[in-house]
Amino acid sequence: MGMQKTREIPRFLCFQCQASERSCRWQLLQVKIGGMTMAVEVLRMEGITKIYGNGFVANKNVTFWLNKGEILALVGENGAGKTTLMKVLFGLENPQSGQVYMDGEPVKILNPLDAISKGIGMVHQHFMLLPSLTVAENVVLGIEPMKNGLFDFKKAVEMTREVAEKYKFDIDPLMKVSELSVGQMQKVEIMKVLIKGAKIIIMDEPTAVLTPQETEELFEQLILLRENGHSIIFISHKLEEVKRICTRVTVLRHGYCLGSYDLKDMNEADISRLMVGRDVILKIEKEAPHVGKTIISIKNLVKVNESGKTVLDDISLNIHEGEVVGIAGVEGNGQSDLSDVLSGMGGFTSGTVELNGSSIAGKTVHEIRQMGLAYIPEDRMEYGCAGDMSIRDNIIADRYFKKEYRSGFFVNRKYIDKIVDQYIKDFEIACDDKNQPVRMLSGGNIQKVVVAREFTSGSNFILANQPTRGIDVGAAEMIRKTIVKKSREEGTATLLISADLNEVLECSDRLLVMRKGKIVAAFPKANEVSESELGEYMLGLKAMTAEQMGGLL
Amino acid sequence: MNKTRKIEITVELIRIIAAVAIAYAIALLTLVVFSDEPVYIIQQFILGPFSSMRRLGSVINLAIPFTFTGLCFCFMYAVNKFNLAGEGTFMVSGCLTALVAIKIGDTLPPAVMIPLLICVGALVGVILNAIPALLDIKFNANIVVVSLMLNSMLVFFAIWILKYKMRDPSIGSLGSYLLPENALLPSILGKMRIQAGLIVAVIAVILVAILFYKTIFGYKMRVVGNNPLFAKACGINMVGTIVAAQLIGGALAGIGGSCEILGNYDRYKWVASTQHGFDGLMVAVLARRNPALVPVAAFLLAYIRIGADVVNSKGDIPVEFITVIQGIVILLVAAEEFMGKFKKNMIYKAAEESLAEDKKEEVKEILEESDGKEK
Amino acid sequence: MFTIEWFANFGFSVLRLSTPLIFAGLAAVISKKAGMMNMALEGMMLAAALGGVVFAGMTGNVWVGLAGAIVLSVLVSLIIAFANLTGQTDLYLTCIAVNLATSGGTVFVMYLLTGEKSTTSAAIKAYTLPSVVIPLIKDIPLIGKIVSGHNILTYVSFISIFLVWLFLYRTRLGLRLRAVGENPKAASSVGISVTKIGYISFFMSGILCGFGGAFMSMGWVSFFMKNMVNGRGYIGLSASNIANGNPIGSAIASVFFGFCDATATTLKSQGSFPSEFLEMIPYASTIIALVVISCLRMMKLKKIQEGKESAAK
Repeated sequence: MGMQKTREIPRFLCFQCQASERSCRWQLLQVKIGGMTMAVEVLRMEGITKIYGNGFVANKNVTFWLNKGEILALVGENGAGKTTLMKVLFGLENPQSGQVYMDGEPVKILNPLDAISKGIGMVHQHFMLLPSLTVAENVVLGIEPMKNGLFDFKKAVEMTREVAEKYKFDIDPLMKVSELSVGQMQKVEIMKVLIKGAKIIIMDEPTAVLTPQETEELFEQLILLRENGHSIIFISHKLEEVKRICTRVTVLRHGYCLGSYDLKDMNEADISRLMVGRDVILKIEKEAPHVGKTIISIKNLVKVNESGKTVLDDISLNIHEGEVVGIAGVEGNGQSDLSDVLSGMGGFTSGTVELNGSSIAGKTVHEIRQMGLAYIPEDRMEYGCAGDMSIRDNIIADRYFKKEYRSGFFVNRKYIDKIVDQYIKDFEIACDDKNQPVRMLSGGNIQKVVVAREFTSGSNFILANQPTRGIDVGAAEMIRKTIVKKSREEGTATLLISADLNEVLECSDRLLVMRKGKIVAAFPKANEVSESELGEYMLGLKAMTAEQMGGLL
Repeated sequence: MNKTRKIEITVELIRIIAAVAIAYAIALLTLVVFSDEPVYIIQQFILGPFSSMRRLGSVINLAIPFTFTGLCFCFMYAVNKFNLAGEGTFMVSGCLTALVAIKIGDTLPPAVMIPLLICVGALVGVILNAIPALLDIKFNANIVVVSLMLNSMLVFFAIWILKYKMRDPSIGSLGSYLLPENALLPSILGKMRIQAGLIVAVIAVILVAILFYKTIFGYKMRVVGNNPLFAKACGINMVGTIVAAQLIGGALAGIGGSCEILGNYDRYKWVASTQHGFDGLMVAVLARRNPALVPVAAFLLAYIRIGADVVNSKGDIPVEFITVIQGIVILLVAAEEFMGKFKKNMIYKAAEESLAEDKKEEVKEILEESDGKEK
Repeated sequence: MFTIEWFANFGFSVLRLSTPLIFAGLAAVISKKAGMMNMALEGMMLAAALGGVVFAGMTGNVWVGLAGAIVLSVLVSLIIAFANLTGQTDLYLTCIAVNLATSGGTVFVMYLLTGEKSTTSAAIKAYTLPSVVIPLIKDIPLIGKIVSGHNILTYVSFISIFLVWLFLYRTRLGLRLRAVGENPKAASSVGISVTKIGYISFFMSGILCGFGGAFMSMGWVSFFMKNMVNGRGYIGLSASNIANGNPIGSAIASVFFGFCDATATTLKSQGSFPSEFLEMIPYASTIIALVVISCLRMMKLKKIQEGKESAAK
């Protein structure tokens, strides 16, 4: 029984004419999906729209369905809306509009307990386990068996063993969770879900923390679960895995659902093209960079974090005067660690890192800033500003000790007032008064305050980590244009780390891709890289060798 | 947004006044219920402190140590460290000041002696407060517990010094030798018999307020207290600032102890802790960590205390009921602080919502457009 | 001087002095396992001490006094719980405020009821909880003298160690309490109410402090005195911190502090050292113990860190 289903794709992407993606931007085209056999729908989410309190639209009219006994892949980049969609399903968020159907009947899921009682279980990305307790205690938490008023530990162990044997988990219920490997911890999470009778299991990026060995074991598990009649939603952006164990895939991008497809009709490149792409072209007029001397020199940088994981694996890279080097890549592949090392917020294990000719090893943030660093942190509220202090106090936070800003022990109010007023004008910060507390501004304006401070610090190296995340288009545009302007007019060297493809393709001169702590691709001209190619490197389908990247680092 | 800021400030002021008013009302209620002569007692409580120049003088005299310890806690509070060693510091500082004064004797002119002794007090304060501060930084030893244990130890230390190093055997009760004339702070303002420590206190308030808001160090302190991670990302030395703030706070408590002894006594007589340290905590909480408001809060607290004293001498209610009131006020104000944040968040949210409304309109349009095109 | 008799007396003293510390330590352990640092043990015990004497005096029955002590302590703990869990006040500040209020409030109430301002010994008849002499054991040389003949609450305190251990590690509620303390998100994700557990933990702390306070005013001495708890609440808290929340470890630390206290008392009666420095011993030992344990922990962590780094390489 073949069924032809057509699906319209919102105006941002043309799936059909890949050759001329850029020209075919505003047309609506149709896509055909290959024959679909009738399947029993065990779950359907229809027309889900979720808008957060701050106005951010996380899911835009998303529809997808899950058949019984299948593993459905839910893919999309960071910010595509996968997590929000699952939060809605699990009862952690309420959608503005849309309806959820289970086994054909409309249902309302009020909260996680409700979801669990309806047979939905979620295995979180960040484990919800109690390390000092045993596996058995963790698994039965919430449904603990009792005997004579006391907790029946023996029964708990029995119950856990039952589940473990039924689904072939090789875990000793008596072990403490703190003694388990990461892969085993995940199995405990799955057991928690199964023991409460979940028929639909949501796995949120399960392989992000696993070794290849553990990943194999997980896949065997999931296939076993599927054969036992469970239905699984597998959230991932690792396409090789998706291709291996999933039968269908639903693609999300920027809050929209770009459709659900049979995986046997698609290859990884097809999925990649759907996932990775820009919706609006932001063209920044810029001339070619005048590349000068080396400002940042990184050689064989290695960093092992507290858990023993190697987060930066032999990175070597130079950044020169007058150029913007962009790093693209899915978050969590070492970009934050690189940012921490360069800013002095975290140390590193081995290698050399030099800024303006001097090593930064062992130096404090203050000293590195004096050496020429300007730093736009990833999380502006945590690291970028003091929310309850005024705009003016925030702007001078990196230079209060300098000659002009002080007279002896005292803060030079007059000079500061003058300068801050100037910055507010130059950077178009929308506020009532420079004494206003920063947390009263909108996200974009808060970032402008951060940027006003960093861009006027007189440094010749700017480290920008997700500089326009979560802010309005106008502010984002201003910040990006300024980054480029400074590199051309003042010769600043910039390292731009961003998950936003717009940004990283248009603002960067040279473009690098990071994956699993290594640099896997280098392009000399960012605006000549095709998105599909970029996607392949980002998602691990391809990787450049050292020779290919030769002089580009 | 200017509007919301104004609302905020007004609401906060009302809150503090409400907290104190509620506590005062409870105090009055207590008096009414437990006294045999309620009306008379209330009269004494409210008006007693003003009934004579002497009484008014004692209110101001009591406000002086409260101001010093209040300023001390402003520093602790500003860097979010509950270092309560101000209590013991106050006492030991007074004790050691007396000791030094007695040892040096009558040789120096007052203009030299008094500042010298005040410096001794400050030094004592710095050294003593360094102990919990450093143990916390280096060894992560709970600063509240360490400072309280230290307080207990310091009380005994002060008593030991009194007993063995400067005890005057000629008097009946436990007391030191007479303090030399040149060390005593004169009393000023005639009939009110206020001690000259008032001048030192006023100078201290002004200097601390300037330090907090106009100096580089004050700025660093406020940033560290506000968001320590941000301070780190900007290169501000967190640890150094936090320890320095506690040391300055300690110095103030020490100066307070010195002034208290030199201004009010002819010999050192303390055999127990004066509790001024905890009063300082309350003053700092009431003053919302703002040094400029400390004298106001100190005066308020002193007024209530003297009122309780008057009641105690004229009637039958002991002064201890005030500590209950103090506890209630701290709770209320602390709750305010959180409710205040909550209120602030609501205002913030409201502002965001109006922004979101505009965004929602935009999104609606986009959705409608795509819907339209689908059809 | 160091006769068997002396050792027996000393040992007896240690157990006696440890009793309130054990109760306070266990109370702190329960709070700590639930994820909160309960600093108001001092105030709770003080309220209990007064309550015990007052209720015993009013009804003429020492057991009613004990019940009254527990009731008052629980009352204070629930006030803190409410302020912190529902009113969202800062826990440290709340505890400090409550300690302050109880130190004055108890004197005030004492005055109201008895007209005395420093101790109730004159006004209220002295009620003491009975001492227990254990047959057979009392005849064992040395050990007998140390172990038998204590106030009943001393034995209760040691039994409590076992009971608290049983509660935390063998009951369902104890399991949930530990879960909330270790990872509240994980606990609430399986439906456990973090707030409810918080209240329960304060309630249990209150009961334990009730016993501790009752011992002070009806076992140790037979009256209530201004500020009689004198830092024992904080010492108990430190015992719990040192043992990292383990009830058995906390009891051992408490007995250690009791030992320091007994040493101080003995040396005092010797008269060879100035008494003031001896009085400092319990407090100084708390600070030293905290620092030493912290040092040891830091060294251990360093070793683990170095081990991991070399393994990664």
